[in-house]
Amino acid sequence: MTEQNIIQLRQIEKRFGKVVAVSKFDLDLRAGEFFSLLGPSGCGKTTALRMIAGFQEPTSGKIIIDGQDMDGIPANQRPTNMVFQSYAIFPHLNVGNNVAYGLRGKGISKAEIDTRVAQALEMVELGGLQSRGATELSGGQRQRVALARSLIMRPKVLLLDEPLSALDKKLREQMQFELRHLQQELGITFVMVTHDQYEAMTMSDRIGVMFEGRLVQVDAPPTLYAKPCNNEVASFIGEMNFFPAEVKAEHAESLTITTPCFGTMEIERNPNVATGGRAIEVGIRPEQLEISALEPEGYDATTQGTVRNVAFYGENVHYHVEVDGVKKPIAASVPNYFHTVDYRQGDTVWLGVQSASVIDLGQDQSKS
Amino acid sequence: MVNFKSEASRGIALSGPATLYVGLLVAAPLAILVAYSLWTQTYVSVDRTVTLANYREAFTDPLVRYLMIRSVLIAGAVTLFTVALAYPIAYFIALKARRKTLWLLLITIPFWSSYLLRVFAWKLILGFNGVLNSALLSIGVIDTPLTFLLYNEFAVVLTLAHAWAPFAILPIYVSLQKIDLSLLEAATDLGNSAVQRFLRVTLPLTIPGIIAACLIIFIPTVGDYVTPSLVGGSDGKMIANLIQVQFGAANNWPLGATLSLLAMMSVGFVAIVFVLAASGLGRRIR
Repeated sequence: MTEQNIIQLRQIEKRFGKVVAVSKFDLDLRAGEFFSLLGPSGCGKTTALRMIAGFQEPTSGKIIIDGQDMDGIPANQRPTNMVFQSYAIFPHLNVGNNVAYGLRGKGISKAEIDTRVAQALEMVELGGLQSRGATELSGGQRQRVALARSLIMRPKVLLLDEPLSALDKKLREQMQFELRHLQQELGITFVMVTHDQYEAMTMSDRIGVMFEGRLVQVDAPPTLYAKPCNNEVASFIGEMNFFPAEVKAEHAESLTITTPCFGTMEIERNPNVATGGRAIEVGIRPEQLEISALEPEGYDATTQGTVRNVAFYGENVHYHVEVDGVKKPIAASVPNYFHTVDYRQGDTVWLGVQSASVIDLGQDQSKS
Repeated sequence: MVNFKSEASRGIALSGPATLYVGLLVAAPLAILVAYSLWTQTYVSVDRTVTLANYREAFTDPLVRYLMIRSVLIAGAVTLFTVALAYPIAYFIALKARRKTLWLLLITIPFWSSYLLRVFAWKLILGFNGVLNSALLSIGVIDTPLTFLLYNEFAVVLTLAHAWAPFAILPIYVSLQKIDLSLLEAATDLGNSAVQRFLRVTLPLTIPGIIAACLIIFIPTVGDYVTPSLVGGSDGKMIANLIQVQFGAANNWPLGATLSLLAMMSVGFVAIVFVLAASGLGRRIR
């Protein structure tokens, strides 16, 4: 119950009839952090956000915002504001009136409203556009108006529902940067819902990964990437090669394992997974694999295989290498330093990996 | 197949039938009406010298002025009453009801019977020995039948409001249906109560629907003839009844044509003023 935690969610559950949208949801959000709820569509992340905003009542559980229990407090009285996925710009009002919307009828003087609107628009780089009509805005501008309209309310928490999904790629990348910058400048807690893992990783202090209504893992992006708590999280965030492995010996900090293709290795224990027993699953990120024509030197484990597929991404090249004893071809990603594609389909290549790059994912779900 | 050479010829070909139709059935009769209004009626024939005598007569005759004002007032009352009743119904169907199609179907049910039958039904309900009076008598609320129910302006307004309700509900329903629900949530999110939200978002966004509903009802009811003659009695007569008399018993077509044109112009004038006022009001809501 520290005052650091601006939002506390305690055992939130939301059911629609028999469908459980969100279950056993516990989460503490720190004041001033940029938090993302990440998950595939239909995982309940938007429902969770809407419960914080007050648009939906949890079936059971407690929502505490800034120390105050939100039970029975309607959306219009909560210290939160929301940026909607569609931006919800009032079409009958111009930009200035859209931004001023929440300040009107509250006994605030016209002069102060005008000043605050001008400041808010300046902040989102739309200075001077007060009289522009709502229907004359581009997608990026609508997003900025929605942001200004929420931020002018000085919320304790700003909720963002897939705020960038309606923008094209270039604009989205620019807005990611700007949103992050704005959040750091204002120090307001941002809670963003997204299905885009890259968006979540580039912007957030912490990410909560959701699957089927459950919050599966909450961590900072680098930890989430390096120490995912299970196969699901590992495959949702970034790319991952999965291997079955057998535990030969357990140590305090590490495990000795054997894998079908890389032989015996000693890998770090993953603190985010429960002890997995003897049959576990391990993962290797494609960029952690070395690929070469001759057996690479200085690697903890190596294996030989045949290139099945080459995918050129520009900044890097993905090779899918078929290795005996592994069902799915192993993906290895190579940075495109020299602007060449070194291997062709059918080439015999070597793969090398350091044991530090092998991620313990706990009990092998496919075998239990 | 016709080979359309240019945009223009294609446009003419596409709009041709409609233009012909409008020209033949709207413009030509109107021209005849204007011509007649400038002629005068002699005992058995029409004097074709152009004169404004009919207009002078119409403007000076207190009966014409009285009926014209009363028609506008009755139509205004019908419009107000109908739209005020239609809005909540449309709101319910568009935003609250689960089975929208069923509700819309139910609303159109009155159209399955003829308009005359519906007017007669109201006579049966409101009449001296009507349903309403017999019911009130039998439960002992009154001991003599109420006479203010039928043959007056009240009966005209009630009958017309019932007849025109679907025409008000539908345009308002459409404009409500078009509102993006996240706009309503955004208003709530920005601190509005349900009432504030309605006044600041829902209502201004439905003004086009309200205007459409008002015009659809107001314009035809000003000139309605059947309803006032059946349930209006002598107190409920409207301008259309006077016009009918000119073309019938009074046999003064030129005056009838003049009255028709004046009625049309007053309707047009009131409608334009109304549209400007309503949309101006909508723009002022912030």
